[in-house]
Amino acid sequence: MKRIIYLLLIAISIIGCKSDNKKESEKILTVYTHRHYESDQELFKRFEKESGIKLNVVNASADELIQKMSLEGEQSPADVLITVDAGRLYRAKSQDLLQSFSSKLVDSIVPKYLKDEDGQWVGLTKRARVIAYSKDRVDSTQLSTYANLATEKWNNKIMVRSSSNIYNQSLLASIIANQGEEFAEEWAQGVVENMARVPKGNDRDQVKALANNEGDLAIVNTYYIGKLLNSEDKSEVEAGKSVSIFFPNQETTGTHINVSGIGVAKYSPNKDDAIKFIEFLLQEEAQNIFAGSNFEYPVNSNVEPSEILKSWGDFKEDNLSLNKLGEYNKEAVIIFDKVGWK
Amino acid sequence: MLLLILAIVSIPIFTIGLKLFDGPGESWSHIVKYVLYDYLKNSFLLVLFCSIIVITFGVATAWLVSRFEFPFRKQLEWLLILPLSVPAYIMAYAYAGVFGYSGVFSKFMEVIGINDFRVEFMNIYGLSFVLSISLFPYVYVSCRTFFLAQATNLLEASRMLGISEFKSFFKLIFPLARPAVIAGLVLVLMEVLNDYGAASYYGVSTFTTGIFRSWFSLGEPETAIYLSAILLIIVFGLILIEKWQRRKLNYTTPKSSKQNYNSRLKPKISNQIWFSVICFIPVFLGFILPVIQLLIWVKHTFSKVWNIDFISITLESFGIAFLTASVTVLVALLLLFFTKWNKIELLKSSSKLGILGYAVPGIIIAIGVLIPSLYLDKWLIEKNITSKLILNATLIALVYAYVIRFLAVAYQPLESSSLKIDRSLSDSSKVLGKGNFRTFFKIEFPLIRTGLLSAFILVFIDILKELPLTLIMKPYDVDTLAVKAFEYASDEMVSSAALPSLLIILTALIPAIFLNKLLLKNASNS
Repeated sequence: MKRIIYLLLIAISIIGCKSDNKKESEKILTVYTHRHYESDQELFKRFEKESGIKLNVVNASADELIQKMSLEGEQSPADVLITVDAGRLYRAKSQDLLQSFSSKLVDSIVPKYLKDEDGQWVGLTKRARVIAYSKDRVDSTQLSTYANLATEKWNNKIMVRSSSNIYNQSLLASIIANQGEEFAEEWAQGVVENMARVPKGNDRDQVKALANNEGDLAIVNTYYIGKLLNSEDKSEVEAGKSVSIFFPNQETTGTHINVSGIGVAKYSPNKDDAIKFIEFLLQEEAQNIFAGSNFEYPVNSNVEPSEILKSWGDFKEDNLSLNKLGEYNKEAVIIFDKVGWK
Repeated sequence: MLLLILAIVSIPIFTIGLKLFDGPGESWSHIVKYVLYDYLKNSFLLVLFCSIIVITFGVATAWLVSRFEFPFRKQLEWLLILPLSVPAYIMAYAYAGVFGYSGVFSKFMEVIGINDFRVEFMNIYGLSFVLSISLFPYVYVSCRTFFLAQATNLLEASRMLGISEFKSFFKLIFPLARPAVIAGLVLVLMEVLNDYGAASYYGVSTFTTGIFRSWFSLGEPETAIYLSAILLIIVFGLILIEKWQRRKLNYTTPKSSKQNYNSRLKPKISNQIWFSVICFIPVFLGFILPVIQLLIWVKHTFSKVWNIDFISITLESFGIAFLTASVTVLVALLLLFFTKWNKIELLKSSSKLGILGYAVPGIIIAIGVLIPSLYLDKWLIEKNITSKLILNATLIALVYAYVIRFLAVAYQPLESSSLKIDRSLSDSSKVLGKGNFRTFFKIEFPLIRTGLLSAFILVFIDILKELPLTLIMKPYDVDTLAVKAFEYASDEMVSSAALPSLLIILTALIPAIFLNKLLLKNASNS
């Protein structure tokens, strides 16, 4: 019993020390973020060093953070909200959790279609949802559009993750926005019929399954291929090498893109510092880190994407306003459920 | 007093329960029409498969290690707890890795000359297996606690009547062990029902993945909470039915005067080897194999992932788990004590409300805790007592949330071990003029000490693995190993998540081994 009490005291003091070293006078910025990449931790450290502002980071999924902000209400300590897709920022905005902010620097860097129309959030990085195909088994001239994936020739060939994943939802939302709900439902139905297996695993797993001959095509985000090719695990590199990338809809609306973005919280206690933080993330130093270590496309056009991304060439982006992705998100999910896209 | 404890532990549950009256969001009819059937069917199948597997593994191994002597028994006794230390979603990743592209399995098949042979593992059967193999120790621990304290005289009597050891197991011991089996099984099933990570990765739509889908994808937290409230009611109903069904049965066992716990049977040598093998199988599948996979991953990623922070993060995780496990066990003990002496039947049944926190996803519990704690915070500000949120993102709120979440894990083993206590013991103590309190601490407390230790081990390991609550409620500068593992895994860097996962497992080893020794010592002293 005594030993247990000693251990307990040690445990308490370990945690006690940890939470005691806060300085009262320090400037603090509270970041609610859904991004948990290593590149971000590096960025946060640099920002703290350069600005002298300490970052308090709360890391969870965007929806949990939105719920937390709305429960906290006016007392919320959150200054900014970072998400990995535009739809969630739209959601936060429609729940009245963000506020407009203006910054000439931000305006000069970020093109209009990557921003909220009321200036409540901006994109930080772009990711494209593309088709990865087996180098051995697929002739790339057969590929053209997303719509093409729903045609019979790909019967039993397509692999894609669950429709619970936001990137699939955004893709379908963009199709709803571009071609209407009816077309979108037919398309989703067609893809489901062409699936080589029940949706499961993450984007990397789709590529590995491709390498494992379980199907011929996979719908994936670009940066996962970059990460596979840079993996320490030899078999992942092999899997990455066995596929090529195809950018769909080049002749039509352009390849679907989404952003990871940031908005200023409505009740941000430190709005000026929040804007400073956003400006920091959009400038070249930070954008280079996003591009280099996380294989995302930078939104700052002065910064080049990583070598791997460049090797796939330039492509035409879908310039659809990203607000639409949020607007049609729910319709997209309902269609997925209807057509049985798990 | 019981009311007070009950109030404290059930406020978050009630907060969620009350949301039932708010009704679901607008997509409810869509959910009912298209997906609810699938959710219910898969959850039911999962519960069924998992029950069968965990009872088989859990009861068989517990029976063997507490009744027989065989090679490596001592080591296997604590090794059998360890699968619990592997977070279920990490186990899911590990098995997907083993059976996946250029995984251990396909390499093994190549070696023995079979090419292109694939096992489709990522489906409901694989999921049932993964969940069962990482959760069966709940049943093992509670049954073993029971078997160790089981008076041998019953068995001796049965043997004197010429009934074989195995026959008496099915005729006598298994029925007697029912409260212990149920206690463990309830925990397993609650965790199976609230699992999100593994199920969504394996592409199985369960009730809980549905909860997340209606929240994250349809953007309707109210529907998610509504579904959770339904889940709570179902689980509560099942617990009450079970309790009602066994209400007339008495599980107290008369203590023989000369109990001798060293009287393990020594079967013949061939059987001994069989017993070792039987106990080794779940250890291999639930611990050694996934750890091998994790080690393979760590080999690739160690140089990139390792940094000195991991030492302090490990210490922090240990500290938090130790502190919270102590608090949780204490609360469970108080709850048990006051329930036992309470005369009001209704209150007694409602004590089960407190343990429901384990049945729903952690994130829903987080909401259940956030709502009242933020309410209190705001009230304090209104009354000008404080100027900003003081509970939010502090250790107090986090520990409170953990207690709500894991009370079941502490309460179940305690309750099942206290059921065995012969009531005449406490009655005589009271006749001799001792109060409830003293009776409890002098008579009952020592008798349930083994249950107490089991409870502590289980809660400790659970907190070490806990994720969603920790993410949303932790103080800013506190990190845990589970958070680290998740950061990598959610970014699809499963192999980088292997290092923090292994550290979780290593940290869990400490109480598993240390307390197991205490537990055995206690059992042989009492």
